Amino acid sequence: MRTVFSILQIIMLIVIAPLVSGLITKIKNNVRLRRGQSVFQPYYNLAKLFSKEEVISEHTSWIFSVTPYVVFASTVTALFLVPTFIAKNPQGCMGDLFLLVFILSLGRFFLALAGLDSGSAFGGMGSSREMFISSFAEPAAILVFFAVSLSAGSTNLGAVTTGGFRLSWLVAAVSLLLVVLAETSRIPVDNQETHLELTMVHEAMILEYSGRSLALIELASYVKQIVFFSLLGAIVWPCMAAASAGYAEIIAALAAYLLKIAGLVLVVALVEVSLAKMRLFRVVDFLYFSFVIALVAVIAAVFGV
Amino acid sequence: MHTYIFLLGILVMTYFMMMVKRLPALINGFRWQSLFLFLLTLLLAKREADGALYVVAGLIFLLKVVLVPYFLLRIVKRIKVNENLGFFMNPQLSLLSGLLLTYLSYLFTFKVMLLADRMQSVSFALSLCVTLMGLFIMIFRMKAVVQIVGLLVMENGLFLTAVTMCGGMPFIVELSTFLDIFISVIILGVFVYRINTLFTHIDVNKLDSLRG
Repeated sequence: MRTVFSILQIIMLIVIAPLVSGLITKIKNNVRLRRGQSVFQPYYNLAKLFSKEEVISEHTSWIFSVTPYVVFASTVTALFLVPTFIAKNPQGCMGDLFLLVFILSLGRFFLALAGLDSGSAFGGMGSSREMFISSFAEPAAILVFFAVSLSAGSTNLGAVTTGGFRLSWLVAAVSLLLVVLAETSRIPVDNQETHLELTMVHEAMILEYSGRSLALIELASYVKQIVFFSLLGAIVWPCMAAASAGYAEIIAALAAYLLKIAGLVLVVALVEVSLAKMRLFRVVDFLYFSFVIALVAVIAAVFGV
Repeated sequence: MHTYIFLLGILVMTYFMMMVKRLPALINGFRWQSLFLFLLTLLLAKREADGALYVVAGLIFLLKVVLVPYFLLRIVKRIKVNENLGFFMNPQLSLLSGLLLTYLSYLFTFKVMLLADRMQSVSFALSLCVTLMGLFIMIFRMKAVVQIVGLLVMENGLFLTAVTMCGGMPFIVELSTFLDIFISVIILGVFVYRINTLFTHIDVNKLDSLRG
């Protein structure tokens, strides 16, 4: 029963993942007093890409063709680990906060390799920028997880998400929000709306992909976004239902989960509208600040706040 | 709970000031720190229903959030100082040293002082580390304006100790401290301005070189 629920939950999350991006774009456009594209536009894009023919450069190696699958698989595995709305079995849960970081960086590693593999100038530039940014984002994320697991007494994700509200977790969540903006290539760090060669980071890396591979990578980045949003939501407001509980509780937990995601969507959209994209070397300061906030969260956790 | 929020806010802003690279950002960091201090004092005044503490909170807002940062920003604008803070130690290393200072004050509070009240120990440890970091900023930055800000951070830390440990100093002492701060900032500001016109820089490290 628990397994069935778990798998159903993951499938549902993958299905709604593009909608989250569509919603963010819609809110951004409405705030700017434009009508904007439909919230279902990401689905249309994915459907179009899946039906299109794929072109692979003859100079690429096996890394290029295997990367979309690695990226998609690792992101979905990460989705299995994060707490969403149905609690996982604490004994059977092998998920660990640090495992999550490593699984996500496996996908990023392959993406960066694939960017270099095609041999185009933009790919290499994008890979180098992505690695540059993630080398600052990852320490901050790991410190956030330190703070959270210090006060939970365990790095197990099941144990982490059953605790009550703590102030140090709130501070950690502020830091994680900045990291999430960087990791999901949102505005102060990267811009998803543009393919301007001087500024693009994530888009530059996947420039050589087309057809089904591109669709898989895009879907993976939607899923990655929902992974981070779920994590952030679980830290700010942990509320989940056990899989053995009745349907009423599960539906209540689902409603709370969707509420959290909707709140995060609103926050991210407003942040994106109100900020301008930073120069690449100012991103360091931005992520350094999130590192400092994470440090304060660790200190607060040590003080037992 | 609210006390902790404001204490952590003060700590975040102090770290921010340790690693910041430009003068206006440093001064705005000080403004935010003072704002958190103001909110904390207001909270304590409300909790203890202390009229004098309300006046002190109002003075903090007026002096440290509005007047002093405004005055310092005006000096920075007028002397057209270049963006460099005169680092004697780079921001990354400064941040690590700040962490070390926090650890030392944690050790001192929880292993030596042994206060009974947990809330008081946490706020004492944090105010001690704010004071130490203010001293650090004064020692390891070579620009005169930055040293003024370091002095103000130290004063904030000391005020934080007084207000969280024993509900503030006697009112008249508080008042004279504020007057002192205001006067000293004005005097130091004028002084920095004079140094700048005389030497065309405000790097205190080079003040001992003779000019013909």
